[in-house]
Amino acid sequence: MKSFIHNTYAVFRREVHRIFHWKIYLLLMFVLPAISFFLFSVIFHNSLDSLPIAVLDQDNTPLSRQLVSMVDETPTALVAYEIQDMEEGMALMRQGKIYAILQIPALFEKNVMGNTQAKVVFYNSGCNITINGLLEKDVQTTVRTFSTGIQLQLLQSQGLTARQAMALALPINFDKHILFNPYINYSYYLAPCFLAMMLLIFTVLLTVYAIGTELKFGSAREWLDTADGSIMAALLGKLLPTTIAMSLMTMIMYVVVFKIIGAPMNGSAAMLILSALVFVISYQAIGIFFIAVFDNLRLALSFGGGYSVLAFTFSGLTFPIMAMYPAMQWFSYLFPFTFYMRIYVDIAMRGAPAMFAMADLACMFLFLIPAIVMMPRLRKLCSDEKYWGKL
Amino acid sequence: MKLKKYISLYIKETAAVMRNEYREIFSDGGVMLIMIFALFIYATLYGLAYGNQVLRNVPLGVIDNSKTTSSRMLIDSFNAGPNTYVAYEAADMEEAKRLFYERDIYGIVYIPEDYERKLEGGLQANVGLYCDASYFLMYRQVFQEIVGAITTKGAMVEFQRLVAKGINTYQAKNVSQPVIYQSHNMFNPYLGYGTFVMPAIIIVIIQQTLLIGIGMIGGTWREFNLYHKLTPHGQARMSTIPVVLGKALTYFSIYAVSVSYILTIHYHLYGYPMNGNPLTVIALILPYLLACIFMGIAISTLFTKRENSILWMLWSSIIILLLSGISYPKEAIPEWLFTIGKIFPSSHAVEAFIRVQDMGATIDDIMPQIAALWQQVFIYGGLALIAIHFILNQELSERIRNKVAKMAKSVPHKIVRKIKKA
Repeated sequence: MKSFIHNTYAVFRREVHRIFHWKIYLLLMFVLPAISFFLFSVIFHNSLDSLPIAVLDQDNTPLSRQLVSMVDETPTALVAYEIQDMEEGMALMRQGKIYAILQIPALFEKNVMGNTQAKVVFYNSGCNITINGLLEKDVQTTVRTFSTGIQLQLLQSQGLTARQAMALALPINFDKHILFNPYINYSYYLAPCFLAMMLLIFTVLLTVYAIGTELKFGSAREWLDTADGSIMAALLGKLLPTTIAMSLMTMIMYVVVFKIIGAPMNGSAAMLILSALVFVISYQAIGIFFIAVFDNLRLALSFGGGYSVLAFTFSGLTFPIMAMYPAMQWFSYLFPFTFYMRIYVDIAMRGAPAMFAMADLACMFLFLIPAIVMMPRLRKLCSDEKYWGKL
Repeated sequence: MKLKKYISLYIKETAAVMRNEYREIFSDGGVMLIMIFALFIYATLYGLAYGNQVLRNVPLGVIDNSKTTSSRMLIDSFNAGPNTYVAYEAADMEEAKRLFYERDIYGIVYIPEDYERKLEGGLQANVGLYCDASYFLMYRQVFQEIVGAITTKGAMVEFQRLVAKGINTYQAKNVSQPVIYQSHNMFNPYLGYGTFVMPAIIIVIIQQTLLIGIGMIGGTWREFNLYHKLTPHGQARMSTIPVVLGKALTYFSIYAVSVSYILTIHYHLYGYPMNGNPLTVIALILPYLLACIFMGIAISTLFTKRENSILWMLWSSIIILLLSGISYPKEAIPEWLFTIGKIFPSSHAVEAFIRVQDMGATIDDIMPQIAALWQQVFIYGGLALIAIHFILNQELSERIRNKVAKMAKSVPHKIVRKIKKA
């Protein structure tokens, strides 16, 4: 045991030396993650500007103009154009200048006042679901509020009290409680997701690079010899600096997400930190697996990199896993990121007790198995010269 | 006569570069994976992930303290729509919360004890609605379905009450809903997620695989000194134009094939919108590919090792996707950053491509983007020529230096001094 620690430390020192002499290590460990963190915090810190829409007001009465200005006052919609016909609106849409058209047909005011149903039509482009959802929600709510206001006026003009009119106009009221993420802020869950994506990409690349260069430049035996022939000690000593650096980056990630972007944090910080550490280690294990399978630096980087960028889609944060085909649901479990994001949502956003994260944490540990299985092969790669110098 | 000689030399060199590039790509698993297979793999995998297009049947939990016919009817209405179904009836909030944490349900409706009494007494009944906004799509489906059900139910109750007051049915209908709200999604009627996101992803993948793949080959040229090895006999160094042209033609020929496949057969298989005139699509994709290729060649001169391009550039894919304004509205991105993002051809192409394919935008509609892309073709083409020219000269002078150093060892110092003076 003592010699194991000694050997590990020897490799650790050798690795730290390498890190400070090969600038690409420092680039992947600190510079690029820092740049990406900065860019994401700038993006997610920014608030949403209003989304341009056009209004086709065929009524052009005080009442219709009142509705238009109500829509304009919503946080998302901005009435950027007043158009004369649908053709004009469609052209603006095709030129990418507006996202939607609000049509108020002629006789709007007359119908409303004359106790005949009036109609408002909202044409959403639908090309961007996110924007679609934001606009739809605000415009629909505005029209509904407008309609209820008119109803109350009508009922009160018929002699009802305000309270009676309210009970009649809205017989079933609903108290809306947004359980988690009460601000319905899009960036609160996208930010951690993107930052963690960055970390996992760099972790995989670093791990493959650290081991792959030993093979490519033929220093693998020297590496193994430094560990006195113990592949365990060789790997541990080699990967420990990356583990430390990346865990440090996860802490910075949490500072960015919670302090700068201001995402909610409702649960156990210890659990969140622990899960980030396991997250880093699980992706290091995946890096080991890729280089051991392909025994070629660049092929392993291509496959490892290709695999790591897939994680975002399959985490189900944007398009839920529940909605995927069954085979794709299984596929989504091939990424530690999926489990890490579940823990993040449970702990930070929903404030679930730590025990609800245990199963996901255990799943992340399972990703160590492929790396352990590959250990004998990795030893062979390191001691047999025929695997070296591959391009 | 001299011109003729130059032209034939240029053609020969271009052909040599192209032969080398094809061999480089098709004999190398790493490059093949990125420049050929990645587009198919990602388009297929992402396409399958979003294959279902819409989220349906989100499980809900209901706490029914009223336990009356009216509350039953309300609960049934949550089952009526396609988006949600009532999976559990929880006894209390504690149980509902536990189900929620275990991811058995994604929304809770609380119906209080006095629900029916208030409804029948002409008062306002309250219903508690607990949605989870941790997953956005989930939130939207649950919220829309429940609010829709409650509003419909409310309008019915109001109508009945008005009729009971002796108002005729026509008037009752108008009073209960003076303004009707209609909404139409013009170009993506079912709001399919894949339809929305895949065209953008495909365009970004084309750019990223080109940049990384060309960078890999560029690193190989430097690492294996191909600039020297491919020099025709009797020439001091390769000419600049044939190197850039040969490379560009090779990459273009490969991507012309794979992109054609993706935009036709793959698009048909997955049912993505193809409302654009094919000529408009070509008018957009042509400068896009060229801009990406020249940008790739210019950047590739910076890499001295073949693995460096992936290490340097993979991470940018995520940011570029975000800057394309798809997963995150471009109105939410700071303007300066969005402007910087415009150095990437994808920033112009993604948005224009979606308008062409979704809305059938014409060449006139996307003229600003096409112009910007051609501008990039010339700028990056120029940069590629300058960078390759620089590298060829650098390689040549390095070779001469080495030769001089070698000669210096065997030649007396006097002569060396003379050479240096000269």
